[in-house]
Amino acid sequence: MSDAESPHNPTLTPDAQTDDFEAVEVFPDSTDMDLRPGADNCYKCTACDVSCPVAEVDDEFPGPKFQGPEQWRLKRKEDEAVDDSIMSCSNCMRCDDACPSGVPLSQMHNTARGEYVDEEMDKLSREYIRNRILANYGTLAQLGAMFPRLANAVMGNSVVQRINEKVLGVTAERDFPEFATQTFREWWNERGGPQVRSEEKRVAYFHGCYSNYNTPEVGKAMVRVFESFGYEVVVPKQRCSGTPMFANGMLDDAKRAAGINVDNFAGLIPEGYDIIASCTSCSMSLRQEYPELFDIDGIEDLSAHTYEALEYLRIHEDLEGAVREASVDDQAFAYHAPCHGRNQGLDRQAVELFRQLDGVEIEDVGDSCSGISGTYGWKEEKYDKSMQIGADMFDHMEHAQGSVGMTECPTCSMQMEHGTGYDIKHPLQLLEEALV
Amino acid sequence: MAITDDVLVIGGGIAACTAALSAAETGARVRLLAHKKSTLRQASGLVDVLGYAGGDGPLSDPFAGLDALPEGHPYRVVGEDGVRAGLRVFDEAVGDAYRGGHTDSNALVMTHGGAVKPTARYPESVAPGLASSPGDTLLVGFAGLTDFDAPVAADHLAAAGVPFSARGVTVEFPKRFRADAKVTRFAKALDRDEEVDGGTVRSVLADTVAEELDGESRVGFPAMLGDDHAEAVREELSDRLGVPVFEVPTGPPSLLGLKLEDILFDALDEAGVRISAGNPAVDFEADDGRVETVIVDQKSRPTPYSADQVVLATGGLVGKGLDSDRESVTEPVFGCHVPHPEDRYDWSEPEAFGDHAFARFGVVPDDELRPTDEDGEPHFENLRAAGGVVGGADVAREKSASGVSLATGAVAGRLAGEEATR
Amino acid sequence: MKKSPSVLVIGGGSTGTGIARDLAMRGLDVTLVEKGNLTHGTTGRMHGLLHSGGRYAVSDQASAKECIEENRVLRRIAGHCVEMTGGLFVQRPEDSDEYFEKKLEGCRECGIPAEVLSAEEAREIEPYLAKDIKRAIKVPDGAVDPFRLCVANAASAVEHGARIETHSEVTDVLVEGGEVVGVEVTHQTGTGPYVHGEPGEVEEIRADYVVNATGAWAGQIGDFAGVDVEVRPSKGVMTIMNTRQVDTVVNRCRPKGDADIIVPHETTCILGTTDEEVEDPEDYPEEGWEVDLMIETLSELVPMLAEARTIRSFWGVRPLYEPPGTGTEDPTDITREFFLLDHADRDDLPGMTSIVGGKLTTYRMMAEQISDHVCEKLGVDAECRTADVPLPGSEDFTVLRDYMDDFGLRSPIGRRSAQRLGSRADEVLNSVDPNPVVCECEAVTRAEIQDALDTAGTELNSVRIQTRASMGNCQGAICCHRMANELAPEYDEETVRASLDDLYQERWKGERHAMWGTQLSQTALKHMLHAATMNRDEDPAAADADIDFAAFDDGGASEDDASGVASGGAVADGGRRRAADRDDDALGGADGDN
Repeated sequence: MSDAESPHNPTLTPDAQTDDFEAVEVFPDSTDMDLRPGADNCYKCTACDVSCPVAEVDDEFPGPKFQGPEQWRLKRKEDEAVDDSIMSCSNCMRCDDACPSGVPLSQMHNTARGEYVDEEMDKLSREYIRNRILANYGTLAQLGAMFPRLANAVMGNSVVQRINEKVLGVTAERDFPEFATQTFREWWNERGGPQVRSEEKRVAYFHGCYSNYNTPEVGKAMVRVFESFGYEVVVPKQRCSGTPMFANGMLDDAKRAAGINVDNFAGLIPEGYDIIASCTSCSMSLRQEYPELFDIDGIEDLSAHTYEALEYLRIHEDLEGAVREASVDDQAFAYHAPCHGRNQGLDRQAVELFRQLDGVEIEDVGDSCSGISGTYGWKEEKYDKSMQIGADMFDHMEHAQGSVGMTECPTCSMQMEHGTGYDIKHPLQLLEEALV
Repeated sequence: MAITDDVLVIGGGIAACTAALSAAETGARVRLLAHKKSTLRQASGLVDVLGYAGGDGPLSDPFAGLDALPEGHPYRVVGEDGVRAGLRVFDEAVGDAYRGGHTDSNALVMTHGGAVKPTARYPESVAPGLASSPGDTLLVGFAGLTDFDAPVAADHLAAAGVPFSARGVTVEFPKRFRADAKVTRFAKALDRDEEVDGGTVRSVLADTVAEELDGESRVGFPAMLGDDHAEAVREELSDRLGVPVFEVPTGPPSLLGLKLEDILFDALDEAGVRISAGNPAVDFEADDGRVETVIVDQKSRPTPYSADQVVLATGGLVGKGLDSDRESVTEPVFGCHVPHPEDRYDWSEPEAFGDHAFARFGVVPDDELRPTDEDGEPHFENLRAAGGVVGGADVAREKSASGVSLATGAVAGRLAGEEATR
Repeated sequence: MKKSPSVLVIGGGSTGTGIARDLAMRGLDVTLVEKGNLTHGTTGRMHGLLHSGGRYAVSDQASAKECIEENRVLRRIAGHCVEMTGGLFVQRPEDSDEYFEKKLEGCRECGIPAEVLSAEEAREIEPYLAKDIKRAIKVPDGAVDPFRLCVANAASAVEHGARIETHSEVTDVLVEGGEVVGVEVTHQTGTGPYVHGEPGEVEEIRADYVVNATGAWAGQIGDFAGVDVEVRPSKGVMTIMNTRQVDTVVNRCRPKGDADIIVPHETTCILGTTDEEVEDPEDYPEEGWEVDLMIETLSELVPMLAEARTIRSFWGVRPLYEPPGTGTEDPTDITREFFLLDHADRDDLPGMTSIVGGKLTTYRMMAEQISDHVCEKLGVDAECRTADVPLPGSEDFTVLRDYMDDFGLRSPIGRRSAQRLGSRADEVLNSVDPNPVVCECEAVTRAEIQDALDTAGTELNSVRIQTRASMGNCQGAICCHRMANELAPEYDEETVRASLDDLYQERWKGERHAMWGTQLSQTALKHMLHAATMNRDEDPAAADADIDFAAFDDGGASEDDASGVASGGAVADGGRRRAADRDDDALGGADGDN
């Protein structure tokens, strides 16, 4: 069924690279959902509003309470117009984290955004095209990774950046992430797939786009750490988790990708595999957004068996014991918990764990949002706001002892680097250094 | 394998933080298991201990009212020592950010409606505006903010008989936002001192208010004067106006409540308390009358946390530490007994500010704050309760909301820590 | 010029305001008196169904025919008060086929468009209908907002020269020489443009003719005149859901029974109802079992209702009437037709007619008939025009513009405002700047509140019924005080406070019927906000005794207080990290602000 047992999967064919941009299929269910009953849980405490990093810098955005339960409750069936301010939500999902009463805020936002994009957005507009491209980063990255050096040279060219900004509305302020000369999957195939086989301890790795195309060292660290604990790691074929698509209301694209991911991963669960992600937005998507937004066979099962990498080891191994016995060269980190990690209850685990590791100083730089929120900070008109949101984090990073940043989220890591010039590591890289 | 600690505190509000800090003082390894953001975000940020009891009030001495409280009130369970222990933990955790610790007396603080209320601890930004400290007062409201009408609030203060003159004015905020901008946007503009016509937000605001000032010796704003840099904002406004500037506590969205939450979590971090936030405790495993494991729902997947001692501080009806349907009121995690009238029409009174049974709903603690069953026996040997989930107090009418959380949190946390490290 | 004949109308509900409008448009000199606010009685306490007539198509075809006729008229003249939702009569497997067929046939006989839908077709329209329903009949039911309808009728009457006196209770009917010549009213406390008397002031209002349009209270007016009007008041419960589980009126297709209708009303659904005769239309028990019955029975049609949130319940009293000697046992069987009781013919007391029975959907027709009758009595020859001339707010009601651009409002807020204000939207929404949202649940802005205050005086309950502010899920927890603040500076602080107390108490009354689950959590938050944070329960401004302010902590300004240090002197230790951070570096202290 999947290629889990045949890891020598050939690299993607050119055909496969373009089909994400084919005509939009219609999956009406995701934008047809009636979420008005979700408003029943709201008692107007506004905990969500004060948690919203966008509302703090952008008064065009009326806050999650309005965009979620209030807007839904005011809706009549025949009403069409979703307020256009829904496009200013960055989908950081902090409102979910704040709500004491279980209002499905991000689901409401995602659904309303999908509806807005479907029904009210001009499909030929620059904004739509730009968002579609940003949302489908994986496709773009596939092309880039074919000719990484050329792509890096082109994307890093300031003329190209300016054109991106003028023509597409992608900010010229940011450097495009560099493509690795060897993708994670190329490395995986080259090493011959799993080095450890096990009947009991099996995980399937959801590496996502970024670990594959841009930071394969994170993916390699994941494989080596898990193998050091005796796990059989397999790497099924996969598409984007959908996170950037949700944030841009591209629910049809997201559903198509989800269908492939569910197909390729859910079937492994009966064989004893759990699904591990190293990116907290990927694990968030598979765990929460998939079952909230799509009705696909096996999607619930996939959701229930998906873990973030450290979380999995903390629950299933004596990770803390292992770390306590290890040591690394002296180093100090300024750790930022990504919003999507916070949402899964993972915001403190890296700090808690590495405080036990000899040689490491680690400081939590606080609970502010980094401000980039995936594609949000890449949009020309949002760039300044993104940096305003991030200002607190930059400030706290600079006051922290460490001059290396740490986070689980690839786009937070871009923002941290962009705002401070620090190198940024993933917790798995430090874990690899300590344990492998 | 379960994630294991000495003491597990379930909850993320003021009671849970106090319990965790208090348990950590005993040397125990403590984990705070919080679900969502706490109800501190809805509270005014004031720490009430006791303002009204036995038909008396406002009480200038909260401790003098303890004996007038009914049997079974949480304060009667923990005693005056417990109340003082709670305040001690709080004072140490918040340091200079709060005032009022220099005296046993309550202060009278103005509310955003213009009434005054007795409270024991108040944020430093509120201190210059005490209604129990004379000083002619100018209140300033903003045109687009509907919650705080400064002229109405000032007239209300006068009607309450405050010993000074109060006047209110409504001005435009220097930066024009959309009419539904959040208070966090206002606070951020002040924090960042954003550029506006004629200067910056702070300077233009000060100029605007200076024109209105007519000999008053202090100026009050709704509590939105900055967030991260609140002190600098207030200082600059005070300097420019030449009189102290203070904040009037508000209801939700409450920046003062939010700041208190931040301060408490910083204190937890400093005390070495481990924090797992974002997922709810939903179930437990028990053996031989002891809670062995608390099951947390990590995005629909049960994850075990185990500890020697457990403190339940999940809040009351607002924080969802108590649940109800048409027939009954329940404590959803451990199923502890919550007494309540059989007929739901007896849960409330016809008068809006009547003596409502629902306001006193909660578990029934024994003298060690362990929730008890119908027969008065503790449900579990190692489970204690603190804060809103504990019944027996109408904290809203008594003005004892945070005090009950502090006292029960401090005592439950200390007992749990002592047991675990014995 | 000959002076117009004068008519006094008693009752400010839909019928009374409808009559006042009709007669005023015909050029008569009309005075309307109402003991409370407009819609104080039954009109303000109904489920908001705009009947297609389908409900009476089997049992009461005369009523059914009137309904479908007026249904069409109201859509034309009261567009901003009406939402054409459509309606379904849903048959469950246990409901009889025979009745289903009779219903269908009845609709057709009465000229009510009716279409049979399969279960699947019905569930396509309303996905939350139970999976096991059998089939349904689709009819043109709708929803009507009785408050706006009444207010619009009154406004139109005033435009045509009528005088309206609210808070003026009729305390006697003046009979002279065996003829009704007017009434005595006692003015009550109240404010607003329709209040002219001082509280307690007694006034005699004389008129050439008196119309008793007091519905369930008609018997009491009859008593003043010494005539018997045998109204049989019958109470019914209505339970309000927090959201719209259905967007179509859903009726149970079976013979009469309790708990058989769900009406989507504005942002909510209203479940109804019961039918139980009561002695006194102002004093009857409101009981929990009635609410339970609504939820349990109607969740057979829409299962999610069993777990859904209700925000309050209320009861209304139907002004049922049947001619003496009919002797119907069960109030459900009493006809819904209306009756015109000319006391000259009936009781040998000229000068007054009572109108009883009927329902909101046919209010205009009732008004027309009684106006015809009055004109005949007074020898006036004038045509009724109320079926053709739209009500204020419903003129040129071409909706769907870009509200956001027009009014600077978020589109759902602009849309809801326009749905409520109709053709007045421009005028109202552009009148205030800045125009913040005051009631978030119902999306009511300051402009709309201020507009309502023009006719409400200090009565926030009247603002509420005009705008729906405080009628959403928080039941005023977040907005009662904001609404009260809108009274200033026109009114003083004491008035602001009193109006707030009244509104808060009124909200509490109905909310008590929903205090469990999320609504109980909502209530607990409300209690904390208003008692703990605002100290409204112990407001010193309302207390008798003065506070000794000097006995309280003055912040350490005086030396005496320092001696009271007892709790560990935490401040003396210099504060902790956070405080130190702030002192050292005002910009780097806080660990995040979200």
